[in-house]
Amino acid sequence: MKPGALLRLALAGSRTDTLRVVLTAVSAALAMLAILAAATVVAIPELGSSPDDAAAWNVQYTVAYLREPGLRPGVTVALVLLVIPALVLAAQCGRLGAPARDRRLASIRLAGATPRQTMTLVAVETGVASALGALIALGTYLLGRRLLHNPGPDGRLVLPTDVLPPWWVLALLTASLPLLATGIAVVALRRVSVGPFGVVRRQRAESPRIWPGLLVMPGIAVIAVLEPISAYADNRDVALPAAVFLGLVATGALMTVIGVVFGTGWISHRAGQTLARYARRAPAMLAGRRLMADPWAGSRAFAVVLTCVAFGAAAAGVKAAFAANFAVEDEANRLTAEANGEEFVPRTDLDFYYNAFDLINVAVAVAALIAAGGLLVTIAEGIVSRRRTYAHLSASGVPRSVLRRATMWQALAPVVPASVVAAVAGAALPRALFGSSVTGGGYDSVPEVTLSVPIPFGDLAMLSGGAVVVVAAVVMVSLLFLRPSTHPSELRTG
Amino acid sequence: MTAEPLLTGRGVVKSYGQIPALRGVSVDVAEGEIVAVTGPSGCGKSTLLHCLAGILTPDAGEVSYRGERIERRSEAERSLLRRSEFGVLFQFGQLVPELTIAENVALPLMLGGTGRRQAHTAALTWLDRLGVAHLADDLPGAVSGGEQQRTALARALVTEPRVLFADEPTGALDTLAGEQVLDHLLRVTQDQGTAVIIVTHDARVAAYAAREFALRDGEHDPSGVGIGSVRRGRRARGEVATEARAR
Ligand SMILES: Nc1ncnc2c1ncn2[C@@H]1O[C@H](COP(=O)(O)OP(=O)(O)OP(=O)(O)O)[C@@H](O)[C@H]1O
Ligand SMILES: [Mg+2]
Repeated sequence: MKPGALLRLALAGSRTDTLRVVLTAVSAALAMLAILAAATVVAIPELGSSPDDAAAWNVQYTVAYLREPGLRPGVTVALVLLVIPALVLAAQCGRLGAPARDRRLASIRLAGATPRQTMTLVAVETGVASALGALIALGTYLLGRRLLHNPGPDGRLVLPTDVLPPWWVLALLTASLPLLATGIAVVALRRVSVGPFGVVRRQRAESPRIWPGLLVMPGIAVIAVLEPISAYADNRDVALPAAVFLGLVATGALMTVIGVVFGTGWISHRAGQTLARYARRAPAMLAGRRLMADPWAGSRAFAVVLTCVAFGAAAAGVKAAFAANFAVEDEANRLTAEANGEEFVPRTDLDFYYNAFDLINVAVAVAALIAAGGLLVTIAEGIVSRRRTYAHLSASGVPRSVLRRATMWQALAPVVPASVVAAVAGAALPRALFGSSVTGGGYDSVPEVTLSVPIPFGDLAMLSGGAVVVVAAVVMVSLLFLRPSTHPSELRTG
Repeated sequence: MTAEPLLTGRGVVKSYGQIPALRGVSVDVAEGEIVAVTGPSGCGKSTLLHCLAGILTPDAGEVSYRGERIERRSEAERSLLRRSEFGVLFQFGQLVPELTIAENVALPLMLGGTGRRQAHTAALTWLDRLGVAHLADDLPGAVSGGEQQRTALARALVTEPRVLFADEPTGALDTLAGEQVLDHLLRVTQDQGTAVIIVTHDARVAAYAAREFALRDGEHDPSGVGIGSVRRGRRARGEVATEARAR
């Protein structure tokens, strides 16, 4: 098929096709705005050291996160993190209504659409749509920084509207974002196969192995050896380069997240097997068989949500370790003050540090929301692509409530265990890095104090519970597509 | 025909937007009777079937089952009626692709509250009756079209319905597989005393039926020369059925 014909076919679609292109463009625009915001924060100039040897503050901003050079990298990281779910959302949107398009291609039979051509089509479409989104975002950004540039009475700014990243950075970002989105879309499409009659299964999917999930273990181990390594290096008076240290932390964290995502495939399959074997009622049996048939569908869709849970859990663990460190310091100071008969004044500047964690929590929550959008697309697509079967079932008297419950089971059965695993794995990282107890004091006349770092059970429960609630809410919204998908008009074979 | 018909339609009217599909059709189906609904493409056969089965609600007219009006009942009540008293069989694509053949057949029983083990046993009995018991643990996508239709027939009949609605059940099959499905359909429904309303384009299929109900442009066409009449004469002499088996 010629590229021209392919493109015309890709565009000659229904409303769903238009919706798909629009949603892809919107999510690409979201990702682009996040990355532009990050680039702007990076562009805020470092003012160099002030007389008292601290980096000087950019006093033109009202917000501490922008004013203080020490806080800006955290802001940048949080913004860059938002790019990931937005890009995944863009890629997931590529699946919306895609079976209908694949059928159209197959039925027109211009030599029949081979999987490769479908792939090309998705790549072209996602590429064009996200390039459009990126350009719109760039325009919005350039316009927005003018509109939002209104200094307060004291001349200070809420947003860094006074700095602009160099033009080549803007150009590079605008060009590379569509490429990234296309890459993700192509990877996400690899395993999906849709025949002219919709989803067809000839045999059971191979059951996923557990070992990719076990990647969590070496991931945590990599982080656990950091402390002994740096202690060893200290003893030998060799400085461990910061890049090596950070690289190892990133590697460990990445392995853990990949392990969680792959492990979810295994968990899905296991949950499906258990349901299929022990279910006494139809909805659980349906859900179990579906999970067994395609355990990866779930883990692909849940990957970002679970990454958010792991990330939030890691942040909660770091916060607990920080808090324990402060508590140890305070306790040592209190004991010293007591021994010297002085009055003890506890530290009061802690809120400042905790605010940084709030920032990460906000980023995690926003990322989870965007991920929920992607999940909605995936689950709704799963319902719509099964509409012929659903209409037949409904016609033969299967109540919609049964189909509803089956969909809910199918989503929650893997998510409940997987979100607990994600929270535990995420919380294990800071524990591996900082240990389970902190010791302070022990110098001069200050007594040595050891406190154990509490496991932030409350935060972890909130995170995994939140993930389950988000998924349940998304399923409920996607069930709006069930009624049209069971309509008798879907029974027509023509 | 018994005094009171099992299922009746009276002046059934149904339009899709501006397009009239049925313009007032009346039909009676007696207990255990086999009726072939025939007519050219687009004449409203499927629409009539859906109205009689309570899948669609007619714009006007009445549909009664055992003397009780069903067309104005709630979707939940009609759904219950369909899964307990009626069976439906379509051209293709009605099996759940992820469930095994046996689970597909057990599904309606489980929805009715039968325990899973019992439902499974009943499903195996029905699969055996239709000659596909050896496929019980396969997925629908792994078996032939004819075997899928026999499975679908087992699923439609496992709840022992009083009426079977079949919309071109052999339309997607080759001749031999189609004949086999029809053979099974007739044998089993006659054993059970199930009434059958079967939509068809096919003279061979119509020949199996006891009565032909011809439609044209959304209306009953009493003069419609029965496409199955020639064959029906032969079947009365036992020729068609032997022909099917001989193949
Ligand atoms: N959902 C629908 N929306 C619009 N028009 C419809 C719909 N369903 C049926 N029709 C129209 O109503 C008329 C009757 O349709 P129906 O499907 O009942 O015919 P049929 O006799 O079963 O045809 P076929 O033999 O091709 O299956 C046709 O003109 C058809 O185009
Ligand atoms: Mg029809």
